[in-house]
Amino acid sequence: MSANIRPSGVFDTSYAQDIALNRTRTDKLLSLGGFLVLLSIPLLTSEGPLGLGIIPNLWVGTLNRIAIFIIAVIGLNVLTGFTGLISLGHAAFMAVGAYTGAILGRELGLTFWLALPLAALITGTIGLLFGLPSLRVKGFYLAMATLAAQFIIPWVLRYPLEPLTNGSRPLEVPVPTLFGLSFASDSAMYYVIIPLAVVLALAARNILRTRVGRALISVRDNDIAAAQMGINVFSYKLQAFFIAALYAGIAGCLSAYNTNSVTLDGYLLDTSITMLAMLVIGGAGFPLGPMFGVTLVLMLQQIIIPTLISPLNDLLPRLLPFINPVNIYAALSPLLFGLILAVFLVFNPRGLAHRWEIIKIAWKLRPFSH
Amino acid sequence: MTTAGQSILTNRRVLRNVLLIGAACVLLAMLAPLVADQRPYRLLQSSITGVLVGGVYALIALGIVIINKASGVFNFAQGWMMLLGGLLFYTFFSASASISPLAALLLPALTAIMVTTTNSWRSLRQPRTLAIAVGITAVGFALLMLAGDDLRLVRAVVGAVFGAVLTGLAIERFAIRPLIGQPLFAMVLMTLAISELLHGVLQMIWGSVEIPLTVFAGLGTAGIPMPIRIQANESLGGTIIVRTELLVAFLLALLAFAAFVAFFRYTSVGLAMRATAENQKLAQSVGLRVRTILAVAWAIAAILAATAGVLQGGATSLSLNLPLLALSAFPAVLLGGLDSISGALIGGLVIGLVQEWANLLFPGTQAGTELAPYVVLMVVLIIRPDGLFGQKRIERI
Repeated sequence: MSANIRPSGVFDTSYAQDIALNRTRTDKLLSLGGFLVLLSIPLLTSEGPLGLGIIPNLWVGTLNRIAIFIIAVIGLNVLTGFTGLISLGHAAFMAVGAYTGAILGRELGLTFWLALPLAALITGTIGLLFGLPSLRVKGFYLAMATLAAQFIIPWVLRYPLEPLTNGSRPLEVPVPTLFGLSFASDSAMYYVIIPLAVVLALAARNILRTRVGRALISVRDNDIAAAQMGINVFSYKLQAFFIAALYAGIAGCLSAYNTNSVTLDGYLLDTSITMLAMLVIGGAGFPLGPMFGVTLVLMLQQIIIPTLISPLNDLLPRLLPFINPVNIYAALSPLLFGLILAVFLVFNPRGLAHRWEIIKIAWKLRPFSH
Repeated sequence: MTTAGQSILTNRRVLRNVLLIGAACVLLAMLAPLVADQRPYRLLQSSITGVLVGGVYALIALGIVIINKASGVFNFAQGWMMLLGGLLFYTFFSASASISPLAALLLPALTAIMVTTTNSWRSLRQPRTLAIAVGITAVGFALLMLAGDDLRLVRAVVGAVFGAVLTGLAIERFAIRPLIGQPLFAMVLMTLAISELLHGVLQMIWGSVEIPLTVFAGLGTAGIPMPIRIQANESLGGTIIVRTELLVAFLLALLAFAAFVAFFRYTSVGLAMRATAENQKLAQSVGLRVRTILAVAWAIAAILAATAGVLQGGATSLSLNLPLLALSAFPAVLLGGLDSISGALIGGLVIGLVQEWANLLFPGTQAGTELAPYVVLMVVLIIRPDGLFGQKRIERI
């Protein structure tokens, strides 16, 4: 983490000021303004009450997806970025959240507003279960334990629980309602997902300012030293697993109710890898990391690749005659994704959030260079 | 003076062992009726198939262990390197017309450049190194341009080996070497990034179709029965069918395994690799070229992966699902121990066995490929994280 550099003339006179999220009035205004802009986006589409059409309708759905993944990756950030435990099974926890949310709504008839916290808690508990090996193993071995979770959980959902989960076929999810209002459209879900994402992001940011957050970071930096200082390493590792699975559960449940159907296909190993990559591209351990990483990777998948595809379809087979144009579309996504991840790991291993900090500091220090 | 009852309650180790034994008993009691329901010949059939399938896993696991021993990186991309080797082999094996001369020149030339510049790009300035590079290229070019169907096996082997060495060296040079000194997290993600990259490249060139690799088709014409049937109607109540392709792939895998183990034990490069694995700084201070040795480790692992790919492709077929199957080798590595070569063999065979048994006991649920290896992985991590033959790690601050 970089040192806190204040604008000139701002001095801290108490610890509360030192750890404040919004230290200056400009900070506060910017945060509030940003939140209001975010909330006004569906109103500016052609489907909004004014029918302005300034912003394409597709943006709302894309922003929903981005926000859902941000929630999941924030959980992964608590586990991997703050505590240093690599998880290759985060998507499986999302699947647990999605299916428990859906099943609670379908079988027990619970409303979405009750199913969401329950699904989160159940997922958190399952996360605790798969965090148990951290009593014995750590580092790479723990990553392998989460890899096992990534295979065992979907298998259990697909085969033994088939009567509940519909197996490999999609499971329909009811539309959430509140006082007769139906949350069927993207814009309606937007007002559920975005405020929740903001609240959860602030909560994760707040963890860093507490005793728990400092303990998690000490476990990441050196767990033996942390244990020497009286930190219950195992307990904090389990807490990190619980928080991470909780966030994944919320994200999964939101995703299920957002698309009104669940399939396992979206929650397999490649999704787990994608989320880890999002975290590292954004900056692991930085509160802003998940936002940057998720936005960049999803933009790549949903905007950049579709625009690249038609010029590449013409160009590539001409340059390399052995390439079949049919294969380009499916191959482009893993190719570019792997390339970007590798480039980030070599040239910018601390992620976009670190770059952002550097830019912010340079801005505050101007006209001096350091 | 403690009684047995007290020690069970107070001694965590004893308590853990008692709990584990209890869990094992419950598991056995649950599985026993399922096993009892099976006809004996089917159990034997699954066991034989399992061991045969495990041979390829052992090869994949050996590649992972070699890289891990040399450079401390767990290579998640081994499965994709395996598919790459298999597909290259397929391309050179099945090309009915002669190969394009440009490709036949580029592949050995690039490999030669990567091999000779392992230490530094400047090595190419020395006339001797340059001569070696040109020599490798010429020999590779000549072998790849060999036309005619009778020599296509040679052509395919040469092509696959050059491709594998090129990939292994390129990965080591451009992806792993820049990350030296970075945390484990970065290394893990880098091998995952390489997997995605290879996935994209392979899908772009070969597409997502299933490609049967008919490398063992010649066995039938040579008079070997395909498949081999063992009549055991009286003793076991059925006929055991052993697929000849699987059997041959298994034997070749064992042969390759033995060859690489002999390489480690009896050659000076193998000795240097073992020394580097033991202590990198010490190896460097006695004059071993650690960089070269890391590159050699990656090249060998890539060749092993390609061998596994060809054998697996010959036994079943090549498709983009193959790397997913190769994930089963990860539990094999951990079961045997991350740094144990003999462990890779045992681990591979055990995982193969467990897979086939799970397929037999829980039909129609993909339990063999999707569940059983990972349950084994979980059990290993909880009971014995260092594996059966792995070295215990001692940690200092």
